[in-house]
Amino acid sequence: MTTIDIELLSVSKQFGANRIVDDISLAIPKGKFVSILGPSGCGKTTTLNMIAGFEAPSSGQIRIRGRDQEGVPPEARKIGLVFQNYALFPHMTVAQNVGFGLKMQGRPREEIADGVSRALKSVRLEGFEDRYPKELSGGQQQRVAVARAIAPSPSVLLLDEPLSNLDLKLREAMRVELKEIQEDLGMTFIYVTHDQEEAMAMSDRIIVMQGGVVAQEGAPTAIYGRPRTSFVADFIGKSNILPASAETGTDRNLKVSLGAGKAVLTAARGDDVAPDKVRFCCIRPEAVRLADAAGALDEPANRLTGTIQKVVNLGAYLEARMLVDGGITLKSMIRSTRLEKLSAGCRVDLAIAHSAVQLLEQ
Amino acid sequence: MNRLLTYLFRMALAAILAFITLPLVVVVAASFSPTSAVTFLPSEWTLQWYTALWDSRWLDPFLLSVELAVIVSLASGLLGVLGAYSVAYARCPGHTAIMAFLLSPMSVPQIVKGVAIVLFLSSIGLYDLLGTPGLVMAHIILTLPYVVRMAATAMFGFDKRLDRAARILGASVTQRIRYVLLPLIRSGLFSGMTFAFIISFNNIPLSVFLVRPGQTTLPITVINHLEYSLDPVLAAVNVASLLFILGAIILFEKIGGFSAQFHGGSK
Repeated sequence: MTTIDIELLSVSKQFGANRIVDDISLAIPKGKFVSILGPSGCGKTTTLNMIAGFEAPSSGQIRIRGRDQEGVPPEARKIGLVFQNYALFPHMTVAQNVGFGLKMQGRPREEIADGVSRALKSVRLEGFEDRYPKELSGGQQQRVAVARAIAPSPSVLLLDEPLSNLDLKLREAMRVELKEIQEDLGMTFIYVTHDQEEAMAMSDRIIVMQGGVVAQEGAPTAIYGRPRTSFVADFIGKSNILPASAETGTDRNLKVSLGAGKAVLTAARGDDVAPDKVRFCCIRPEAVRLADAAGALDEPANRLTGTIQKVVNLGAYLEARMLVDGGITLKSMIRSTRLEKLSAGCRVDLAIAHSAVQLLEQ
Repeated sequence: MNRLLTYLFRMALAAILAFITLPLVVVVAASFSPTSAVTFLPSEWTLQWYTALWDSRWLDPFLLSVELAVIVSLASGLLGVLGAYSVAYARCPGHTAIMAFLLSPMSVPQIVKGVAIVLFLSSIGLYDLLGTPGLVMAHIILTLPYVVRMAATAMFGFDKRLDRAARILGASVTQRIRYVLLPLIRSGLFSGMTFAFIISFNNIPLSVFLVRPGQTTLPITVINHLEYSLDPVLAAVNVASLLFILGAIILFEKIGGFSAQFHGGSK
């Protein structure tokens, strides 16, 4: 049985008439890397601030390690927080910054020094003890911020878009490192971000938020493979989202008509969408394959023909826009050994597996 | 054309600097003059006026002025930081009005303030407070706006995320003030306290209403002396005060480090 570290029970936050967070319930298991993902204004930062104790929920309950946190100030919650701008103390050295939490607990000097060197070791920043934050690069400041937050050994670490101020290369390297740190320490990480790639790369679990509510929650592969709403499908990865309505169906398959109704696709029946509720269908670009390359597909597929409208060569693969017979346009990502043969105007045979056509209610 | 402008600009700058410093040069030169008439560039040099300063006639007022300046700068520093905290940091209700009130003594002429304080003290029967206690109070009123202003500016610029960072790391409110807020506003606070020290030490218009006979501050003693004679001992007093103030500024700067750049990492 997994222990629950942080629990939100129908938590809402209202500023005036504005409902920023609307009746959210979450259970965050111990030792997991959980991302709260959403566009700006979705309520993710407010949720984080409520967990940290900087803001009180308008209603509902927040439990940390089983205890209700109502009236518990941030300084007594024993959780770590990494800020977006790092918020390092400019007048303190790296060692003083990292040791701050232990010092506030009144730990003896040797224990503080010990904790500082352990924390700096886990972010691989030994030898920087006597530098001031201003003398460090952005990536190093980021590591100091992480070290400072983990030094007092909190059971939960909150991270508020900690990589958004770094350049792309560094960001990608830090993703791997953060994940390693989290696994080494076995600490629960709650990672707030608007960057879906970041969330996909690091998380054990993703909570997608939209307009103050949880749009979908689950493992990264589940969220990517079976998005439940067109918002999630659009926000996580690239996708073709097409208005669709159900036609006829069996237990296992459902025929849906797309666009003006001239194109009909067969979709494998999902778990939860009733035929009369189907409004959209989502097809990932990499699921739109060339028929000859799809010869190896060992599952039933829709066969279509279309014309390539536009091709962008991205090296490892091609991004193509196809006008499929029947009047629908599909984005497609093609990995092929014969890429050079494809160009605008080519007629191509396409295959889309039944299971790759995801039906959505909204 | 550009070179001409640069040249003119430098000339103007030199003229301004000369205008500011030349009177001081005259005073310094006069303080070494052997005759009792003040002369610029005396033919002989002497230290007799400086030795004449080692006399209770000058030492007592000097010590009173020092005592006053020390008490006033410390008290103004304490009160100023408290005022700035509630006004600029905690933004208590009505903080703009309170700030305006705290700064208001700056806009009242010192002579008016002096008269008002004397009248107030005598009308409530506390005429005995004239002398050192009255001087301390009056000088605090006079210097508080400078300290509040400087400390408030430093606190307005304080990044409150640092307070949050300290808070989530377990720091109580007193720990946050001691370890994060105060060190970061220290330079602002100390430059305010330096102003308070100098203003109090040099003050004449307010002090003149509040000193007791036989218990006067140094500037008042100089003014009194000036009424009867203009001799080089005054020049020596001025040079000595100048050196003292300079020493005090250096000391404040050593403690407060207000000219030092912080190793500021986060903006």
